[in-house]
Parts: sequence; structure tokens; C-alpha cells
Amino acid sequence: MSMETLGPLSGIRVLDHGHVWAGPLLGMSFKDMGAEVIKIQSPSGNSGVSMGGRGMPGTTAGGDVEELDPMGFHAFDRGKKSLTLNLQSPEGVEIYKRLVAKTDVIVENFSARVMPALGLAYEVLSEINPQIILASLSASGATEGPWRDLVTYGPSLAALYGIKSVLGYHDSEHPQEDQADLDPTAAGHAFFATLAALEARDRTGKGQHLDIAQGEASIQRIGEPIMDYLLTGRIAGPQGNRYPGMAPHGFYRCSGDDSWISISIRDEDEWTRLIEFCGDMVPAIRDERFSTLSDRLTFQDELDSILEGWTLNYQSWDLTRQLQKIRIPAYPVMGAIELAADENFNALNQSNLVMRNTTYSKDAIYRGVVWKLDDGWGEISGSLPKAGADNNDILIDLLGYDGNTVKDFEMRGVI
Amino acid sequence: METVGPLAGLRVLEIGDFISVGYAGKLLADLGADVIKIEDPIDGDSVRGHGPFPDDIVHLEKSGLHLFLNTNKKSLTLDYMSVKGRQILDKLIAHTDLIISNNTHQEIQDYSLDYASLSRNNPQLSVSSITVFGYDTPYRDWLGTALTATAASGAPTKIGHPEKAPLWLPYCAADFHGGVHGAIAALLALRMGKISGQGHHAWISTVEVIASYLNGSGVPHFVFNGGLASRDGTHRSGFYPWQVVPAADGYMEVITMVDDQWNRFTKLMGNPDWAKDERLRDRWTSFEWHEELDAYWHPWLKERTREELFEIFSEHRIPFQPVNRIDEVVASEHLETRDFWQTIEHPVMGTYTTLGAPYKFSETPWHIYRPAPLLGQHNQEILTNLVGLSEYEQQRLRDSGVIV
Repeated sequence: MSMETLGPLSGIRVLDHGHVWAGPLLGMSFKDMGAEVIKIQSPSGNSGVSMGGRGMPGTTAGGDVEELDPMGFHAFDRGKKSLTLNLQSPEGVEIYKRLVAKTDVIVENFSARVMPALGLAYEVLSEINPQIILASLSASGATEGPWRDLVTYGPSLAALYGIKSVLGYHDSEHPQEDQADLDPTAAGHAFFATLAALEARDRTGKGQHLDIAQGEASIQRIGEPIMDYLLTGRIAGPQGNRYPGMAPHGFYRCSGDDSWISISIRDEDEWTRLIEFCGDMVPAIRDERFSTLSDRLTFQDELDSILEGWTLNYQSWDLTRQLQKIRIPAYPVMGAIELAADENFNALNQSNLVMRNTTYSKDAIYRGVVWKLDDGWGEISGSLPKAGADNNDILIDLLGYDGNTVKDFEMRGVI
Repeated sequence: METVGPLAGLRVLEIGDFISVGYAGKLLADLGADVIKIEDPIDGDSVRGHGPFPDDIVHLEKSGLHLFLNTNKKSLTLDYMSVKGRQILDKLIAHTDLIISNNTHQEIQDYSLDYASLSRNNPQLSVSSITVFGYDTPYRDWLGTALTATAASGAPTKIGHPEKAPLWLPYCAADFHGGVHGAIAALLALRMGKISGQGHHAWISTVEVIASYLNGSGVPHFVFNGGLASRDGTHRSGFYPWQVVPAADGYMEVITMVDDQWNRFTKLMGNPDWAKDERLRDRWTSFEWHEELDAYWHPWLKERTREELFEIFSEHRIPFQPVNRIDEVVASEHLETRDFWQTIEHPVMGTYTTLGAPYKFSETPWHIYRPAPLLGQHNQEILTNLVGLSEYEQQRLRDSGVIV
């Protein structure tokens, strides 16, 4: 194997207990960067991806409703190996421990009680393998505290940690539903933390436990209003599309059906360029009420409505191109169809692949890899594993069990 | 001070401006990396002028965003776009493992900030570039902010009321997401460097990062199903309920994904007749009648405070949670139990409190070693020890405005 085919995580073995979103996404991140990822699933048929209930229209190329594809989450398992293992049975735990001895990273997003309850607390795992890194993504952390054992989902956790309180229109108290970015935010922080723990292990030879509270990783992105409260006592509410220190800053309606352009002006140079460009068409924008940033912030309602009176005359792409030409940050608010046709977006996603979906016998397209290394690493590979597809390889080749023992495990439901 | 974090011993230069690169730098610095933040000699990083400020009085050392984002870093003021400044930067790079940057394409071109130029004298150097539209893509020279990046990702088409404007992810969430993934790209480039024996360049696009977050399945979902066709307002379409609902003193996030959870809720309400409504039987289609169905149980929530509701729902293991305000989050017992908040001594601010760890490391802890730096606070230390300039040479640089 040449150097070029090795990814940054080549040689790293990961056990993935992820379910629903944050966990499987973290496992997928390792796989995309060259690690071997073994998905641990229950032999009883729990796929480890299902959220329960009916599948929503998923990722199938025909646009069919994929009954076994709740939310399309199975896409996160591309390229992983699958081991079915009954961790409730002593033999299952024994197999697991033999596997831990040959593993670098364990990823799990159970509630904080589950791994200790299985007899697989970090202390136990590190005794088997002192180099093991256990990345635990619980909702609110593994240590004591009143929110520790809550039943919660990304959107409700975002509410609890204040993230939802600033999402909504600036002239209404009622928050709006969000785009549910808490899970991927937590998974991103967890991937970073685990990579850092691998750096430490390279130096010290020792693994460690990462207690990642998804709420604490996600709350960082509202650091600004939190600092505002800590420094001034102001309590931020829903912000609309506004942002302190920039005006105009918003989405403005364009011609066509539900079509919008984003425009944000960061400094006086950009503001000057904007009014030079549109001032003859909308003289009102030259009003002295808008001459300084603090004036524009004060009279933002008036400014926004004047600006929108102008943008309405344009198609969003035409105006975007004209504004970018004079160095103004602008872009259409992309819809589904536009995004699929977006030249730049398609260039970014060049590593998207159409792949045979082995589990459900339909082709699917998977998102590309967001981290680009100049030598081109980051092509996605591998399809979805069938539950237990790699049982034999892992038990016989990796762990050294003989074929008959494995058959026996299978018959008794250990695997 | 010696650091104990997992990235101890790693020297990083942070080049660029505002939130995305600053957050990437914070993630590295808070895990023990020696992060030197290179700032404009006059105004510094623009987060310093951004605020929020105590008493709303602008002060370059008192911006809340700066105090939060720049913990543990050193500050070097340097006009690296000048010839003299660039010579110093190149000398500094010789002692550097990693550069993180969010320079625009124009700046990269005009000032030779591409990987080949940066690593000219240090083949071991790795670089992570945080871009909005991509490093080698058709729109790489377009300007973008967190707002335009969010627009370009498609995320807003699902957020907000159908009759009103779509909404962004407030407070420059896109920049924070770009920062996390820029920091990941940095560590991946370093690992690649260990394997191949020479430095690597990695990059991310914040537009793609946000797009990759959407709906779990991301791009394919809307390519094939038009999954982002309309905005949902306060009610997410799909299964029922998934909404923001008024309580007596604020709002509750109400979401159930498992039938048992919904059944526990209706049982808690005394198994009323409305719970037998046929339209609730299949909660994947119930959304269609949500206005009528909401009327059954919204009034019950409206009569109770969020605290009362949170207690009842927690006890019955129903995943309905309060929309906490910022002040309530800061006062939360849970975050106090987790020792989340960090109180830091600062030479100008006195004592200030900021957010704590996004994760806890059992062996090599996340730690705040020092407050956000004063503008140019570490000039002398860095120029003397790393660049090897005499006091006379440093004075000449100060006189010519290359440093302060």
C-alpha cells in the first residue's frame, strides 16, 4: 500500500455504539478519514440507527418512502463493519473485552448510565487496554447534576441550554423551530476532542475518558449573548436575522416565488460601496439617518424596508452577482432545487458518490467529506453493512476464535 | 506556564480575523497548544471592537466576544502584509507546527499566504484554511459572512414562518461551526504529517459544513425529495408533536419520537377522550391536523409554569423541556454542578466569567491557563525568544508601525 492511499486515521480501530445521529456521525467521521470502524449492534435486530416509528422519505434515489430508513440516518453507517453482539450475556461481554484489547477508540452516545450498567465503565476498559480512548457523548454529561438522566433530543436539549431562546423573529417572543444542528455540533466537538486525545496518546502512551456533554459543546456558539448577559445583565431574546455590529444584515425578498437574498454589511467601506451602487435607484437609502453604523442599527426597520423595496426588483442570483462584483457579501437563500444545481456547491461535494445500498438494495447518494486534504484524501468508500456482516471476520481472524465456537455463539444468540 | 492539555507542545499561529479562526484557535489553546494570535497592530482582531462591552463603552480589551474567544492565547501584533512583517512571520513559521487561518482568497493571492509560500522554510508545517465558499472552488473569491454562508447552505429554507423571511442561525453560528471543523482539519493535517513525514494542507468550507448538518441525511434528502421545501415556523412537520409551545411563563420544546413517550404524556393528563382521536393514531400524519389537535392539550401547558412542567415531565420521563432564557442557563444548577463557568483574573477587566469546557478529559484536562491577551501583550517575548530580534530591532519595528 502506497503512502498516498493511507488516510490520516489509517491504523486506528474504532468501536461504534452510536445510535440515532451524533454517535453514528462521529463513527462515520473516523471512517471517512481512514479508520476501521466496527459498528456494534444488538443481535435482536435493533439496528442502532432507528429512532422508532416510521421511516420518513429517505435517501433512496427514486424518491420512494424507505420504510426502514428513519430520517435517512442509516447513511451514517457507510463503510463501517458490523458486529452483532449481545452485551447482556457474559459471553458477549467476554468477546467485547477481547475486542477492546485490540481497539484504539470507543464511541458511544448512550445516556451516562448505560456503559457502567453493562459493566463497561472506563475504569474496566482501561484496565484491559490502558491506551483506549472512550468518547462518551451523553446529553448533559456523565457527572452528577439534575439534568444528567433526562430523556431528551437535540431540539429539546437546545431549548434547555438556551440556544432556542435566541432563534425567532426580533419582534416576537415566540421562538421558532430550528434546523436541529445540536447533534452534528456535538459530534464535531467530539471528533476534535478524540483527535486531540490521540495526539496525547502518541506522546504519553495513555488513553483517557472523554465526557462530552452535548449541551456543553453546543452552548459555545451562543457565547456572545451569554457574555453580553455576564457583562451587562442584558438578556437576549429572538434575534431575527440581525446581528450586533452589522447593518444592514438580513434576508431580503427578491422577485419570484419565495425568493430571498442575504446581504450583510460589515464596515463603512462596504456600506459606501452599497449606497454608491443603489443610491440613484433608492435615494431614501442616502438618508442621513443611515450614515453611521449606530444610526443604521437604530433605524434598522426603516433601512430594511427601503432595501427590500429595491431588492424586490431583482432576481436573487442576478443581484448576488452584481453585489459580489463590487465586493459586498451576498448570496441567495438557497432552496433545495437551487442547491442541487449550485455550481460552487457541487464543486465542494465532488466526493459524493452513488453507491449500492447493500442493506436495502437501492442506490443512494451520500454526502461528501467536509475536510479536504490537498493530496485528495477524503473520498468516501464502502456501502452500508448488513447487521452482523463482519461477525466471522472479526471473531475468527481478529480475535482468534475457531469456527465451531463462532457457530455456537450464533446459535445461542451471543452474536 | 507549562500546559498539561492533550495538545501541549504544539505551536500554532492563528492568522485571520473574527469568529471562525478565533474559535478554532480557542479549541486548540484550551487543550494546551501554544497559540500565537497574530493581530492588526492598530485595532487588533475585529472581535475586540465588536463587544459586548461593560456599560456599552467600546474598549479593545473589554469586548465580551474577545474575552470568550481568546482565552489561553498569546497576542503578537504584526502587519504581516508588509515586507518587514512578512520576514518576521517567516522566521516565526520556522518554529511553528501549525497555522490556522481564515484569510480570504484575495488576501491569500495578494500576500502569498498559500500553503506553498507559507511552508517554504518549514516543510514540516501544516496549515488549516477555513474558507466560506471553498479553497479551490468557482466562488472562492466571493465574500461571505456567517449570514451569507448560512444562506448558501440551504439551512434557512426550513427555519421561520412561511409568510415571513427565512431565518439564519443567530450569533454567527456558521462561524463557530466553521471553527470546529477548521480545528478538526488542522489535527487531521498534523496526523497526515506524522504518517508522511512532511506537513500537509487541509481546508473546509463553512457553507458545506452547515449543509452537511441538514436533516441527518443532508444533501441527498433534498436532492431527491425536495426535503427543504417549506418553512415550519413553530411546528416541525413530520411526526407529531415537534413544536415550541407557550407555557404560563415562557415556552416549552415539545417533542416525542417514540410512541411510549407520547402515551405517557396522555396518561399523565388522565387518559382524556381526545387522546383516542383517530387522527392521533398515526403520529407521522397527525401534523396535518395540528391546529385542532394542539387545542386538546396546549391550554394545559399554558396554565403551568415551565418549572412545574419540567418537574412533572422529568419525573414521567417525557422529553418535553423548557426553552430556558440566557439568564436561566447561567443560573442553572446543573452547569454549576459540572463546574462549567470559569472565573478569570484579567489585568484590565479585573475578574471576568466566561464559558467553560465543551468536553472533559480525564487525563489531560481542558484548562484555562490565562485570560484573553492584551493587544500585543506577548510581542517582546515572541520577538526575542522565537524570532531572535534585539531590543533595538524591535524598537525600529515599533517606530515603523509593523508592531505596536
